Amino acid sequence: MTGKLKTLFDKKQIIILDGAMGTMLQQKGLKMGELPEKLNLDRPEWLIDIHKQYINAGSDIVYTNTFGANRLKLKRCGCSVEETVRAAVKNARAAVEGTDTLVALDIGPIGQMLEPTGTLSFEEAYDIIKEQIIAGSEADLIVFETMSDLYELKAGVLAAKENSDLPIICTLTFENNLRTFTGTSISSSALTLESLGIDAIGVNCSLGPKELYPIVEEMSKWTNLPLVVKPNAGLPDPVTNEYDCSPEEFTELVKAFIPLGVKFIGGCCGTSPEFIRQVCEMTSGASYAPQHNEIPSAVCCATNTVVIDQPRIIGERINPTGKKRFKEALLAGDIDYILSQAIEQTDAGADILDVNVGLPSIDEKAMMIRAVKELQGVVDVPLQIDSTIPEVLEAALRIYNGKPIVNSVNGEEKSLSAVLPLVKKYGAAVVGLTLDENGIPKKAEERFAIAKRILDRALAIGIRKEDVYIDCLTLTASAEQENVYETVKAVEMVKTKLGLRTVLGVSNISFGLPNRELVNCNFLQMALTKGLDLPIMNPNITSMTGAVRAYKLLMNIDVNSVDFISHYSGQEDKPKQVSGEKTSMDLPSAVASGLKAECRSITKELLKTTEPMEIVNTMLIPALDRAGAEFEKGKLFLPQLIQTASASQVCFEVIKEHILATGEKTVSKGKIILATVKGDIHDIGKNIVKVLLENYGYDVLDLGRDVDCQLVVDEAIKNEVPLVGLSALMTTTLGSMETTVKLLKEQYPECKIMVGGAVVTPDYAEQIGADYYANDAKESVDIARKVFGN
Amino acid sequence: MYPDKYYGVLIMEKREININRAEVIRFLGYREKRPGKDIMEIIDECEKALQEVMMPAFTFRILGLRHTYDGITVMGTDLTLEGEDISRHLSGCDRCALMAATISVGADRLIKSYEAQDMTKALIADAVASAAVEALCDEAVTEISNRTRSFLTWRYSPGYGDLSLDIQPVLLDVLDAHRQVGITLGENNIMIPRKSVTAIIGLSNRSLDLGRQSCEKSCKYCNLRYRCAYSEY
Repeated sequence: MTGKLKTLFDKKQIIILDGAMGTMLQQKGLKMGELPEKLNLDRPEWLIDIHKQYINAGSDIVYTNTFGANRLKLKRCGCSVEETVRAAVKNARAAVEGTDTLVALDIGPIGQMLEPTGTLSFEEAYDIIKEQIIAGSEADLIVFETMSDLYELKAGVLAAKENSDLPIICTLTFENNLRTFTGTSISSSALTLESLGIDAIGVNCSLGPKELYPIVEEMSKWTNLPLVVKPNAGLPDPVTNEYDCSPEEFTELVKAFIPLGVKFIGGCCGTSPEFIRQVCEMTSGASYAPQHNEIPSAVCCATNTVVIDQPRIIGERINPTGKKRFKEALLAGDIDYILSQAIEQTDAGADILDVNVGLPSIDEKAMMIRAVKELQGVVDVPLQIDSTIPEVLEAALRIYNGKPIVNSVNGEEKSLSAVLPLVKKYGAAVVGLTLDENGIPKKAEERFAIAKRILDRALAIGIRKEDVYIDCLTLTASAEQENVYETVKAVEMVKTKLGLRTVLGVSNISFGLPNRELVNCNFLQMALTKGLDLPIMNPNITSMTGAVRAYKLLMNIDVNSVDFISHYSGQEDKPKQVSGEKTSMDLPSAVASGLKAECRSITKELLKTTEPMEIVNTMLIPALDRAGAEFEKGKLFLPQLIQTASASQVCFEVIKEHILATGEKTVSKGKIILATVKGDIHDIGKNIVKVLLENYGYDVLDLGRDVDCQLVVDEAIKNEVPLVGLSALMTTTLGSMETTVKLLKEQYPECKIMVGGAVVTPDYAEQIGADYYANDAKESVDIARKVFGN
Repeated sequence: MYPDKYYGVLIMEKREININRAEVIRFLGYREKRPGKDIMEIIDECEKALQEVMMPAFTFRILGLRHTYDGITVMGTDLTLEGEDISRHLSGCDRCALMAATISVGADRLIKSYEAQDMTKALIADAVASAAVEALCDEAVTEISNRTRSFLTWRYSPGYGDLSLDIQPVLLDVLDAHRQVGITLGENNIMIPRKSVTAIIGLSNRSLDLGRQSCEKSCKYCNLRYRCAYSEY
């Protein structure tokens, strides 16, 4: 921190912010629903007056009236961001003239939800906030307030740091379940934002000072930054909408925050200059109590923090190395396959997921961005970004929502100087591999020396010791048996002598040996006893995950065996899994009953004697046809139809793996593109259609939702698809459907188009020039059969 | 500047919503027939998971109405309601309740995660979530009814009949809905969290004609009445 805020910081123990702006403007005549930011231009005298009232009451910092001054919100009143923000800063500057009071550029939430839950991209959010930051360059500091989405806040902090030198304060809005409306937790926001290098963090709005106390108390455990509190004047009365805290009570309550490390105090909704005056009076003799907590080694996504205070499993399955099916999915851009791998691992017990999408023939950076964005929409665990290319690491670190792990840096100068600055800038933790230009040293002592070198370099550029995890590298027992124990020894040295967390890829140990599971499991146990914190492993193998759980039980980490019992009690009573066993059921009835496990084992069995195409044509499709016919007659309902399709999908997955392994001919009946049109985010209908089409043997290239009109055309031409399906659920997005159809007909007239979705009618389909209207998923299959003649 | 009475109630605590199972089953397309045991079990599972991740919240405001030739002005706000259907809906009402309710993005995330693993669950969770937000709206209406002791019309939402969806941004701003309950609005006036509802309820001291009473849900003015699977037409 530099400049005026630093001076203020040094001079004053407790810094007083201002109170509510909206409430004051409404008293002056602002109507509900009107944009308050327009008043910066229309009524500068109102703003100067309000600021002055707060300055006279004792505010050391006043916030500009720019809470919603972003391009999306201002569109409604026709003002530009630049003129509005400049006017607001000018008003505040006029008010503070001749005083020591500073001006904070106030930035509130954009008002749209970021991807993947919403449609606003991270990059767009960055751009929107950047415009506000640049327009507000005359302020003394930047304040983000009332934020509930950590992702948006990260975009904002990056925009601020990359386009200005001003100090940054962030305050979020938590509800009394200690989360924001988007689910962001207190620990995740503190860990992520402090690592990104902001100057103060805290809370504002939503609740009164009494209710905010447990929230600030929790926050003070996760950061040593100065804290900020700007509560509402209590809770609003449901009848009068008056807040229930008097200035006296408010002042008394906020006093309690100071011992928690609070340095900045102000008020939010319902507070007035009188509140600020009393707070100012009360704090005049108070001292700031800086915190000196030991912040643990921890990583997080927005909703979940994983503290590395005990062994945590890093799932290794999102990685194409040695996996044909995974490679094929990457080549086809099949993100759903990657997501299913992620969910399978977290269900099995992974605490963190490693993400590696490196394949020579694809654009790794683009794929990494897409995978990380999609993964953080469906899984609730932190990610470990795994790539050998710094540019790919940086792209992923930028758009990651939380505090991730970087995998990896090593002792080579080139790696240290390329990777560590990224780790620092984006506030990540990092895995350090104990190898350098001379390869992997044989002896534990030499690996320890590299670990030490990596740590020193990390510390030198300001990365915390707690954020460096060392990988002492597993060698295969079949090739270098005599060195296996050196790895284990190195783990112990790094853990005890350097006090660092350790990480180790476990599965390599058994490469080339029979009964790999047995070897892996024993190696894992050896390493855990010597201090391994983060095994990178396949969590789907029950004995491996079980070994970690049993270790935690035996080491008294899993106190009272609660976790262990919850996973394993009653398991003995359950019948054994059917996979791999013979069953008397035939495939069509297993599909019809939606029994996935049976479908898998029967298909595997059948493939030994039957051609893949024959299974598809004589068993799967007839079963689906029957279900489809019953659905049309109203005897079967949508959930059952989808259940049948999902079971059949399992069979297709087995067949696909078989074909990849044997190199036999594919079973594809043709390629179809599906997309939910631009602006529309309701894609459950499209996804149902996709499942059904795939189960009739069609390859579906799913472009997702909110798909740009021209992109549909480009992909259709590139992939030479004969049929495109478009879906829209809202009347407001029908225009995008029409545009997409028009563009397709102009640029790729031989392609057929089918449309559907809640608001689409047969008449409308005809009117916009679509070739087919599909009333439901079943009809889309009939259309595909007609188009492809199969 | 404000009308005499002006209320805003929030429910912020994470808590269970009483979801109407019959409604879930209806949303899934079942009519006379009931789903079998396996589907019922998935409904149970989805409901349990949804109750875990939801943060249900609603907010409302009671505001005066002024009926003019150009439409209905909501007093103290920047909001004007235009269209024959909304005029008919609010005729005889001197006040209205504007409301917004949401079950939060936790539901969106859950459904999305199901979509990646099991479409049957995704479909069912979506139906359960729809029923949940309906139930939450019912609670909001009960709250409004208890507080105002007036005759209420049913919930009329923007985009229904000839009331344009374009009023959505102002309506949400009047309710301060982003800050109060976490509802955001995309470029095409689509709300996120997806399971969110905004509505306008007419209030009157005199009894309203039966077709408009709050206990009636009407398909009569819905644009989709002739092709909706759930329509009475």
